[in-house]
Amino acid sequence: MKKIASFIIGSIVAVNLGISAANAAADEVRIAFFLEWATPNQEAKIKNVFDKAFGVPVRWTNFATGVEMTEAMLSGDIDISYSQGMAPFVNAVNAKAPIKMVEIAVTYGMGGTTCVVDKSISKANAQDLEGMKAAVPLGTMADYVYQEMMKVLGVDASKIQVVDMEPADGAVALIDGNVSMACLFGKNSIDKALEGGQLIMTVKEAYDAGITGIDITSVTDKFAKENPEMVRTFIEVNQEYNSRFAAGKSDMDAIARDAGMSLEKTKNQMAGFGFPTVSEQKSQYFNKEGKIMKLLDYMGKMFASAENPALEDYSKVVDTSFLDSM
Amino acid sequence: MLTGIITVLLILAIVGSFYYESRIVKTEKIDAVFGDPEKAKGGVHWIIAGSSTILLLWLFFSWDVAKSFYPDSANELCQVAKVEESLVGIKYIFPIDERQLKSTSVIDREIAIISDYKKIIQNSGIQSSDKAKLTGLLNEAELMIGTLTNEKHLDPEVKNKVILIANKITRLKEDFAQASYPGIKSVEEEKERLELLSKQTSWGETGMEIPPLPASKTGLKFDAAAREIKLISEEFFEIKNDNPVFMAQFEKIKSAIKDFKNSLNDDQELEQDYIRQVSKIAGRIARANIFPPDALDSVQQSIVDFDEVQREEQGGLSVIDALLFPGGTIVASGDVCSEQGPGRWLPKPSDTFKIFINLLKPSEGYKNVPLIWYEMMGINQVVGFITPDWIADIIPGKYPVHSSDGKVEPNLKSTVLDIATGNFSAFSIPIPSGHIWDSFLRVILGLGLGIICGVPLGLFMGLSRFAAGYFDPIVELYRPVPPLAWAPLIITIFGIDNSGKIFLLFMVSFAIMVISARAGASGTQLSKIHAAHSLGASKWQILREVIAPNSLPEILTGIRVAIGVCWGTLVAAEFLAGTTGIGFVENVARKYSQYEVIWITIFVMGMLGLLFDIGMRKIIQKTIPWRGKG
Repeated sequence: MKKIASFIIGSIVAVNLGISAANAAADEVRIAFFLEWATPNQEAKIKNVFDKAFGVPVRWTNFATGVEMTEAMLSGDIDISYSQGMAPFVNAVNAKAPIKMVEIAVTYGMGGTTCVVDKSISKANAQDLEGMKAAVPLGTMADYVYQEMMKVLGVDASKIQVVDMEPADGAVALIDGNVSMACLFGKNSIDKALEGGQLIMTVKEAYDAGITGIDITSVTDKFAKENPEMVRTFIEVNQEYNSRFAAGKSDMDAIARDAGMSLEKTKNQMAGFGFPTVSEQKSQYFNKEGKIMKLLDYMGKMFASAENPALEDYSKVVDTSFLDSM
Repeated sequence: MLTGIITVLLILAIVGSFYYESRIVKTEKIDAVFGDPEKAKGGVHWIIAGSSTILLLWLFFSWDVAKSFYPDSANELCQVAKVEESLVGIKYIFPIDERQLKSTSVIDREIAIISDYKKIIQNSGIQSSDKAKLTGLLNEAELMIGTLTNEKHLDPEVKNKVILIANKITRLKEDFAQASYPGIKSVEEEKERLELLSKQTSWGETGMEIPPLPASKTGLKFDAAAREIKLISEEFFEIKNDNPVFMAQFEKIKSAIKDFKNSLNDDQELEQDYIRQVSKIAGRIARANIFPPDALDSVQQSIVDFDEVQREEQGGLSVIDALLFPGGTIVASGDVCSEQGPGRWLPKPSDTFKIFINLLKPSEGYKNVPLIWYEMMGINQVVGFITPDWIADIIPGKYPVHSSDGKVEPNLKSTVLDIATGNFSAFSIPIPSGHIWDSFLRVILGLGLGIICGVPLGLFMGLSRFAAGYFDPIVELYRPVPPLAWAPLIITIFGIDNSGKIFLLFMVSFAIMVISARAGASGTQLSKIHAAHSLGASKWQILREVIAPNSLPEILTGIRVAIGVCWGTLVAAEFLAGTTGIGFVENVARKYSQYEVIWITIFVMGMLGLLFDIGMRKIIQKTIPWRGKG
């Protein structure tokens, strides 16, 4: 009896120590990114500029969705998530994940994330979508775009049968006629879907209706506190390469190679992207009445559930101190 | 409260089982030696102990034990976490939790990088005059470190500021140790605080993970200290070691870099790259805020002292944290606190049951579909689903054409079509529906098809040379393929409806059924077949009376295995293109970080799998009672 009791207590203590002693100070920076999502800093990535700027090696890991980025950050395997969508970020902070938004990575019109419909449907008879099936990757920016577009078009989204599908699968399902609409992100997937369908709203229409996508850089609280200069450096390098891109000096081949797309597609995709400068971010996005706070409030309520309700104040999940110091 | 009682009962159940066991051991028959199968019988109390252990572990690792016995601990630990959080930045500079001073490791790193670059530049193909200039700049950058670390150069004002910070922390430490800390607030402030506090719900209430406002005396203390440290820490990071010697050196390097840059042509890319790196290195050193080795010792000591005091002040709280919050703790992030560790991903049993009950309500469900409920379905729909539409096509005659006065007269052909498509009115019957039912149906259909197709083929292969040889390549080729390897093709071939998912399950069960039926058929004892022959049995009779019963044990075991594998494949299949089903619920819940729902789906799948298995065991006992006894 005594032996058993001491064994149980011993193993409990062992488990306790074992789990909490994980993750000592790391001598590398671990960054998450997306494929098929071309950004100027991929040139820096491929040329090891980040490694040189940090002074420590960088480990890049590509993810399929922003949800997975959050999970990896919570488990302590990722320090910085570059171009995480606002939707997964909002879901994460609604669930009280200790991560912070530090900059805007990419703003994009609906060329990057959009809904493609069957050829028989257009803007005029969009109401026909009610009762039909739509492929939507739930909890992502495409989910947000889907709900916004249906609102603009006056379609009752609750009457559409949503099928939860990754973009690549959604495109196939639309072409095969299994769904009447597919909401997707990623150039390859959208192009694929457009082979058998058409945009329900053009990029301009969506822009005029105020539907834009914003991808951000999020960092774990711990990393931001311990290595603030590295977060700052990260933003600086991004900015440096963004301005190179703006000046037309980017090595597009390198970016295309790293993004896993053809040169033409990469150029096409990046033409629809915006990479706001520090001053633009401060004056248009992160100021008090800026786009970020509005969008955070709005999306926070959109994705709120009984378990993870919307936060009262989203300014607490934004850390602009790095941008402010530039 | 309830959780507390349950915890105690569970512990009692486990202890009771041990006690009971010790009692039986005493009364056991002496002839029951080791190895006697009788000794493995009658272990009901161990089942109770086993289940209790699982529940107890769940309660323990989800921190529900902590919540039920110390409901205020989370709130207090949240305040402690706030202190920890406000200390993180400043602590990281010193070798308190780290091995080295941050300055030391930065210098270490930069010197290594500088010497690397010197080598790279020496070995590069650029002009030797440029090489000399770049190397010189790197040397200057290295010298700059010396201007920062030299005690002589340190600005006395900076020294004073550092001492001021150390004093502030020390004063905070002394205040903190006193019972009266954080001092009395004005009546209004206190009133406001209490009002906010009364609105705060408790730990684990819906939507409230950890109540962040300090509720207890200890909590108030830590909360106030956290605020103060945050201010002190901000002030500390304002202090920069920008002594004139260093500034001069930095300016010198900067202008030298500028000059060098200006002297370069656009096509000297390599040189440009190098000078950019040099400027980065110099900038990094300048920004790293390096101090002389002992300059910050007073701050470090004051933090260590404060840490000691705050740990003492935690008192019993740190014991609760260590024992009842296994694998993690409460973490603060700004003003909010959250559970990080098992408490986050392993929901508390009480919450899980609450949400499970909520999900079971047909009006709630998940994503507008109930977990399991029924819906009324007309018989006509059932008939329409079963009877194929082409029946109407093969009836002689033509479908009715509208007459000149604009009426359509139905004839026999159209009436049959109406029936075949379910286009008639009939009474309704309740049909089960919902996520669980959909998953269940998919497994049953996939499995059923696998049995219907697999068993005859397996028997055939076991009995005929032609079938054994002819079908062997195809069966053996596809059998080792893991079922999920088909997944990427499913949406393209079958679309997103049930057919694809059922096909996936069919592929799984079919292979298993063929193999087991074949083994059963070829394993029939020849003497039994001979005996049947001698008694004048026909081929059909031998198949039905001898071979089928003989292979039944193998087939039933095969079904049992197939159920397990089907169930395992189902979840992945429902991840693919989810509309309903348990796997779909789990996948969506993951995207919204709804850990309770994830665990509910895991639990439901476990229970359904168990039910299937128990059912099969009963069937096996009923149909082949002779198994294992021959």
